[in-house]
Amino acid sequence: MKLLLGLVLGAAFGAVLQLSGASSHTKITNALRLRDLAIIKLILAAIGAGLIGVHLLDAAGLANMQVKDLYLPGVAIAGLIFGVGFAVTGYCPGTALAAAAEGKVDAWFTVVGGLFGAVIFAFLYPELEAGLLSVGRFGPVTLHRALGISGALMAVPLGLLCLWLAARLPEKGGLS
Amino acid sequence: MESPSKVKPILPWWAGGLGIGLVLIVAVALVQPIGVSTQYVVFDGVLLRALLPAVAAQSPYLEETAEGWSLLTYEFMFVLGVPLGAFMAALATGRLAWRGVPREWSSRFGPSPGRRLAWSFIGGFILLFGARFGGGCTSGHMISGLSQLAMSSLVFSSTLFVSGIVTARWLYDRRSR
Repeated sequence: MKLLLGLVLGAAFGAVLQLSGASSHTKITNALRLRDLAIIKLILAAIGAGLIGVHLLDAAGLANMQVKDLYLPGVAIAGLIFGVGFAVTGYCPGTALAAAAEGKVDAWFTVVGGLFGAVIFAFLYPELEAGLLSVGRFGPVTLHRALGISGALMAVPLGLLCLWLAARLPEKGGLS
Repeated sequence: MESPSKVKPILPWWAGGLGIGLVLIVAVALVQPIGVSTQYVVFDGVLLRALLPAVAAQSPYLEETAEGWSLLTYEFMFVLGVPLGAFMAALATGRLAWRGVPREWSSRFGPSPGRRLAWSFIGGFILLFGARFGGGCTSGHMISGLSQLAMSSLVFSSTLFVSGIVTARWLYDRRSR
């Protein structure tokens, strides 16, 4: 039952990615070039809805939260590395799978490249863990707990701000 | 090469954004936040253990991530669902199309498939290396993490966008300089 739920939720996610153009190399690279902001608006809307929905669930005691650990500078460097790959392929690990299924042959190569990148990381992990990943460990910290306020109190206004920003951003970027 | 009509999405940005938000909310209510990149490691682990068990046994990270060495998990089914759903959506809307070299790429780097496919591979390598290094990708960190107000996800998403924008403008805009 849980397996089927995973498949259905994943399929819904994949279908939305496909139908909204998030799996398109053109849409992603033009978003990163700040020429076509539709994907930025989409991400802001997703985060806005997520912030409000997840934290209202959490306030009702119904959310299964899972916050990732913060380690600095490791997470910051990881984001820099990820961004380079994102711009070069025009896909992220999820949208590459969606694009691959649409017949985008280059996305297959991104997926296979990703499998290699992941396995190389796995074998370098013991050294990274002892080095870069061992410094600046803060655990699963969140903004609202650091400020000592309830999650919903912070997430609802921030979520509304994200939704407002998503609506206000022009679809065509200024830099073209 | 794609015609512009094929690039124009069926869903507007707000429907796509709210749809992804809804998937996340349902997932958090029923199981856990969404994530994709961990399953690349799980798949690697299961494959490597089947082909070269002695090599797989040398990585504690693989063993820890691919708990039980099984693909029959909720998490893997979610990731398997992504291409399935995308395939069905593309099929239903008549958007299945073979394409090796994207339009933006060929207008900057030429139509050579070999070049595009090689860089797709390299980009994918960098992408997943970065994702595993940071403990998540666009789904796990940006969508799930920011929605939970996770500080780690805020750091990852910020540096991701900075380097993504700098790299994309450097890669694709050089001609216009």
